[in-house]
This record gives sequence, C-alpha cells and structure tokens, in this order.
Amino acid sequence: MKTVFLVDDSATILLSISNILAKAGYATEKAANAEDALKKFAAGVKVDLLITDLNMPGKNGIELIREVRKLPAYKFLPILFLTTESQQAKKLEAKAAGASGWIVKPATADELLNTIKLVIR
Amino acid sequence: MDELTSVFIQESREQLAEMEAGLLVLEQAPDDPGNAELINGIFRAAHTVKGASGVIECHFIESFMHKVENVLDRLRNAEIGVSGELASLLLKCGDHLNTLIGVLEAGFDSPGEADRAIGDALLAELSARYIAPDTNGSKVPVAQQEEVLASGGGIVVTDSWHISVRFGRDVLRGGMDPLSFLRYLASLGEILAIETISDAMPSADTMDPESCYLGFEIRLQTRSSKADIERVFDFVREDCELRILPPNSKLADYLKLIEELPEDDMRLGEILVRCGALTQAELDAGLCEQKGFVPAAPAEHGEIAQSAQQIGEILVDNKVVHREVVDAAVGKQTRVSEKKAVEARLIRVQADKLDQLIDLVGEMVIAGASANLLARRSGRSELVESTSVLSRLVESIRDAALQLRMVQIGETFSRFNRVVRDVSKEIGKEIDLVIEGAETELDKSVVEKIGDPLMHLVRNAIDHGIEPTATRLQNGKDCRGRIGLNAYHDSGSVVIEVSDDGGGLPKEKIRRKALERGLIQPEQVLGDQDIINLIFEPGFSTAEQVTNISGRGVGMDVVRRNIQSLRGSIDVKSEEGSGTSFIIRLPLTLAIIDGFLVGIGHAAYVIPLDMVVECIELDRRGIDRNFLNLRGEVLPFIRLRELFALADAAPPRENVVVVQYAGQKAGIVVDQLMGEFQTVIKPLSSIFSRLHGIGGSTILGTGEVALILDVQALVQRAIRIEEKALASPPASSN
Repeated sequence: MKTVFLVDDSATILLSISNILAKAGYATEKAANAEDALKKFAAGVKVDLLITDLNMPGKNGIELIREVRKLPAYKFLPILFLTTESQQAKKLEAKAAGASGWIVKPATADELLNTIKLVIR
Repeated sequence: MDELTSVFIQESREQLAEMEAGLLVLEQAPDDPGNAELINGIFRAAHTVKGASGVIECHFIESFMHKVENVLDRLRNAEIGVSGELASLLLKCGDHLNTLIGVLEAGFDSPGEADRAIGDALLAELSARYIAPDTNGSKVPVAQQEEVLASGGGIVVTDSWHISVRFGRDVLRGGMDPLSFLRYLASLGEILAIETISDAMPSADTMDPESCYLGFEIRLQTRSSKADIERVFDFVREDCELRILPPNSKLADYLKLIEELPEDDMRLGEILVRCGALTQAELDAGLCEQKGFVPAAPAEHGEIAQSAQQIGEILVDNKVVHREVVDAAVGKQTRVSEKKAVEARLIRVQADKLDQLIDLVGEMVIAGASANLLARRSGRSELVESTSVLSRLVESIRDAALQLRMVQIGETFSRFNRVVRDVSKEIGKEIDLVIEGAETELDKSVVEKIGDPLMHLVRNAIDHGIEPTATRLQNGKDCRGRIGLNAYHDSGSVVIEVSDDGGGLPKEKIRRKALERGLIQPEQVLGDQDIINLIFEPGFSTAEQVTNISGRGVGMDVVRRNIQSLRGSIDVKSEEGSGTSFIIRLPLTLAIIDGFLVGIGHAAYVIPLDMVVECIELDRRGIDRNFLNLRGEVLPFIRLRELFALADAAPPRENVVVVQYAGQKAGIVVDQLMGEFQTVIKPLSSIFSRLHGIGGSTILGTGEVALILDVQALVQRAIRIEEKALASPPASSN
C-alpha cells in the first residue's frame, strides 16, 4: 500500500483529503505544520508522496519542500503542493524549491486522485 | 440523490425550456430566414443535455438525446428543411426528455416499459423521416475520412495523436518519474507505438545519473482533447519540449468546430485554443516568438488580421497546428459578427442558503430594533446616532437580501405558451397568448406556488372563456381568441391578471346553478358582482359537459384558497360578451415587512405599513354606529378592543388607522399610535389558523411578542358588519 504524507494546518483539509485517499486505498501520515513534518522525516518516515500546503504558520510549505529535498533519503520523493489558481508566482517558486507538481484547490476527489496517479505508480 | 445528478436535472430542465421556446417560435414561422440562430440555439441546448447526461452516465437520456441531436444537426446544416411537423415532433421529443428527467429524478435506472415504447416510437419516427439511412452519426463517415486524409498535408500519416517529448535534465530531481507520464498517457487511450530517444545521453563517464536525458516519440489513440493530453505534462511543461499533433481525422473536427464557435470577437489564437486545435501554452509560446520573446500584449483591434496571419504562420512553422486549421480560423475571424450574445451572468445558489440568509437578516432586524430602543432609552445622542446609522444599513441589507429571492415571473408565464398551444389545438380553438410584464419580480416562494392556480385559470379561460370559432365570428369578433397574462406592481403588492376576450361569465347560468346547488335562496337579491363571485364558492362548476381540460375536480374555491394561503386575494371582473379577467393580488415578500405599531391596552399590534393610508383621532361625538364620516366618505371601522374582547375600558382618546386593501378603505380603532418599524413575520402555529384578523406574529425590540393584523380580513369584516347592521335593503358599498 502506498503512503501519502499530508501536511496542512487546516484539520478540515487534512480530514477531507485523508478520507478521499483512504477510500482510494492509500495509507496516510499527517502533520499540522512543517516542523512536525520535518521531525517525522528526520525519524525516517516511510512515505511515497508528500502533499503539503504552502501557507502554514511557522515554516511555510516552500521551506519544507526545500529542506526535504536536502535529505538524501527523500531526494527523489514526489512532492505535490496545494495551491490556488491565482498563485502563479508561488507555483514557480515551489517548483524551483523542488516540488514535482501541484494540486489546485478546491480539487474534486477525481482531480486529486488523478494528480496523485500522475506522480506515483 | 447526489449533488451532481441534481445539478444535471436542474441544468437539463433549463436547457429543455430553451429548446421548447425555440421550437415554438420555429413552429409558428418555419420559413423565416432568420431562423438559423434559433436552430443553433435549439441544437446547443440538446447537445448540452446529451453531453451532460454522458458525464453523469445516464445512458437512457444520452442515447435518446443522441438521435435528437443528430436530427437537429442535420436541420442546422440545412440537410433537411424546417417544417411545422418536424417542430411538433421535436416538441414531443422534448416532452419525452422531460419524462426521462423525471425518471432520473425519481431515482430509477431506466424508464418503464411504457415510457420506453414512447421514446422508441419517437426515435423511429425521427429516423424514418429525418435521418438518412446511410449516416449513422456516431462514426465519421468513410467518405469524409478519406477526404480528410487527403487534405492532411502529409505532416502525419497515421490517424492517431503524435506526441513528441524531450524531458528536461531536472525532471528526476523534481521527484518526477518520466515513466509515470507514460503510464498516465496509457490511461487516456491506447499507446500504439513508443520510441525512446536517447541521443542526448552522454558517455558514461560524463553522465550524471541524477539527470534525465531521455525523450519519447509516442503514437497515442485516444478520444481525449489536445488540452487533456497536454495537461498530463503540466508539471514538467516549463522544462521540457513538447509537441502534440492531432490525428488527421481530427482536422475535420477542428474545421467544423471553428465554424460552430459562437460568433464572437476573437483573435485567431483564441479561436484555435477554443476549438482545441491549439493549447494555451502553445499559443503563448507562439506569441512570445512573434513579439521577439517579449511576453504577448493584447493586439490592437485594428491590426487583428495582419497579426493573425503572422501568428498563424508561426504556429504552422512550429508544427503545433495544421495549416488547414489556421486557414479556417482566419476565415472565421474575418466573418466575425457584430452580434454578441447577451448572456446573463448568473451564480447558482442553493435556495436553502438564501432562506438561511433571510432568516439571519430577520434576526438582525429584530436585534437592531432592540439596540435602537435601548439607545433611545439611554438618551445618549451619539449612541442614538450610531444605532440609527446601523438600522439604516440593516434596512438596506434587508432589502438587498430580499431582492436575492426575487425572480422574474416571465419564466412561469412562458410555460403557458406551450399549454395554450397544446390545449387549444386539442379542442380546436385558435388562441393567442399575450404576455405582458414578464420582467415583474416577486418572491421565489410565491412564484413556485402561483403556478398551479395560474394553470387552472388559463385552462379555464381556454375551455370556458374563449368561445368556439363559429360563435366568435357570429358575434363579429376576431376568429382567434386572446388570453392575456399580465403582471405589475401596485402599492406594495404584485398584481397578476389572467384575462380573456371570450364570452364573459354567464350570470344567469351561474345564478341558476347556485340555486340548484343550494348556495343561494330564490328570494335573495344579488348584485351582478355578487353573482359572479359565486364561482368562488366551494363545489361550484358551471361546465355542463366536463371536459378533460378544466374538469379536474378542482374548483375556483381551491384556487382562491391557494392564493389566500400566500396572503393574497383574487377578484374577478367580467362583462358578458366581451371577456373575463381574474386579478390576483400577492404580497411582494413573505418574510419581512415594514410595519406600523399600534397599542391597545397593554398589547402591541402591527399593521403592514403599505396598507396604512392615514391616522386620525376618533371623534366620538355623533357616532352611534361603526362608521364615520371621513371628509364626506363613509368609512366603516372596527374596534379592536371589542374584536379581541379586551376587558379594560377604552382610554379617553382613541385613534383610527385608516387602511386600504384592494380599493376598499376601513378604519381600525386603536388606543395608541406607536410609529413605524421593520418587522419579521413569524408564522403562527396551526392552532391559530382559525383565528380571523391575525396574520402572524413578530418580536419587538423589547422582546415582547406583537401580533400582526390581517388587514384584508379586518377590512372585509368591518364592511360586512356594517352591511349586516343596515340589514335590508342590502347596501352595496361599491
């Protein structure tokens, strides 16, 4: 079973995405902020995909992506970030930081799952 | 039902209404040369329903609409001619679609045996008469396909998509696996061939194992659009080279699509993007090239054709689009029409959410009144001032919120076009429906509930109102009957008139019938209007022969009851020989009103402000009966103290609030006048339903409950009591 790591400060989003993923047969790891996520990465959490929000209190999503990419074990980890249509500049910045792709909010279950299928087997 | 299905049902009903409206016009004037746009509109509506039904996987609607769409397509391409019969047949198909939507709404997987038979019969008739046997429509005809191949210009020889991709060096470092794209592409269709291009691969000693040096040439067979295919590569778009060439058979589709695009002032690139021949990214790249790598600025209006040609050349040179497609688009562009579709910009909102908002605004009105009251009591002028600003804003918000619920009555009215056409055809009368005031707005909940009573009145007018053609000619009238639907605003209420130019209500017949039914006594003397009003009595029907048009077991009394339940009233005016009109009066809104607060004893009551004419002091001298002389006019009045049987004695000074309803005035005697205020109507529970004179309740700023007076009932009561007191001869007040 593939495991998706969700990082978002909104409990609602964490829940709704993990519900969709659970139904589609994915396991999930969750963290409410970048700091907690990095702790889990430091502990060597086994995940196949990271989905992170960009706007979070503390370290933001872009900083998280940059730091995860620095960890040798996660050098090729697919990373998607959640964004809104209008944040074109943010998209480029996050791509430059090492993200694989993005999910435009609000996404339907199908859009979400299709995007995930695009980056992991 | 899931949300998607309910959205589909709503959407397809709207499209169906559009189809019907178009078909009705078409039926009336099949030879009008200006019909092309109309036919296009009908086609688009059918096409939308078909497409959407496919999305929600409702196959019984999809397959039915597929055939209908085929016929409309042929009609649009002038392969078949317009005729009244075809329009009638298509109208029947519309009816069947409505049935099918009903089936879906009821939650069934497929229509019943009988409905399926109707659908099959309609399709058989359509096929037999309007679909040529050799075009099946679902596949590109062979002849056409060959022609397309010939016109393909030899760029691509196979009939599949060709995708050429060179990945950027950093793809792997971005966490992307090129293989995942290929796998995803396979999910869009079938990959016929794949060629790995490894020319960029350096020798092993200089190769960086973390970089990607690969490219692919892919042949893909799919039904997806170019944009869909491009979307697969979205994440690597910026750092990879991507070219997507359509299969040759697609060319014809693009050429057709370019023709079909709604007439709009568009630039070439936009036309190509819209029809799917080009993706936005390819266009942007082409534009950058055109401007010498300066990001594209919108072209000036005047230089369209010139710059279009250039961008077209660039796009062809870039091999992102075929020349034929560009030429077609340029052709289209030069024929750009002045006409622009005026499409109403709408947002769909769930009605519940609006109701919730109105409820909240109602609460806010009450809370605002309370704050106002406290401010006034405190005597602090700054506070009074700021609360009064606040309450003015609350008032605006209230009006704006109520406005949200207002819908035009036109849509309800235009349903009757069909009814009048069908019913009059059925009974062999020629009748025109004239609609006026379609833009008049009223509360959505009222609009929803007014449909049935209106239907009854219109059917009555067709069946009983309009005389048979022979009789009309005999009486020197136009052989075509006329039924009018009219709506307008009148002093705080909405008036809807249903009128006909028929024979009028036969008074003698009504009187006879009423006698038979024991509704009146033989010796009773009745004015003309009184006789006419007998039709509203329960159990009254004059139709000697009950037809299936109006004989539905529902009398005019039910119509009146329905309208009264909306706090409205219905009147009838009729002149024998020249016609009848029913006048329905409805309140503008059901939720919030401006009220006038009055006091009797310790209790407060609210009178709807738009019915208040004036207030005067009650001069008790010379009054022995319940009417007074208002500047020479007789004004019957009613004492609320007596009506509500309050025990305490009247204060030395009493006031009369003069109210008016539907042209009749009456006075309401109260102790105190307490001024205007906004009030939210809270419905009374059913145990109060038998109480006359009370219409609802509200909560005052102080938290006390005040009853809202039902002015209509009170006015009628005042007049009735006064007439009864005069006994005989019966007074006719107007």
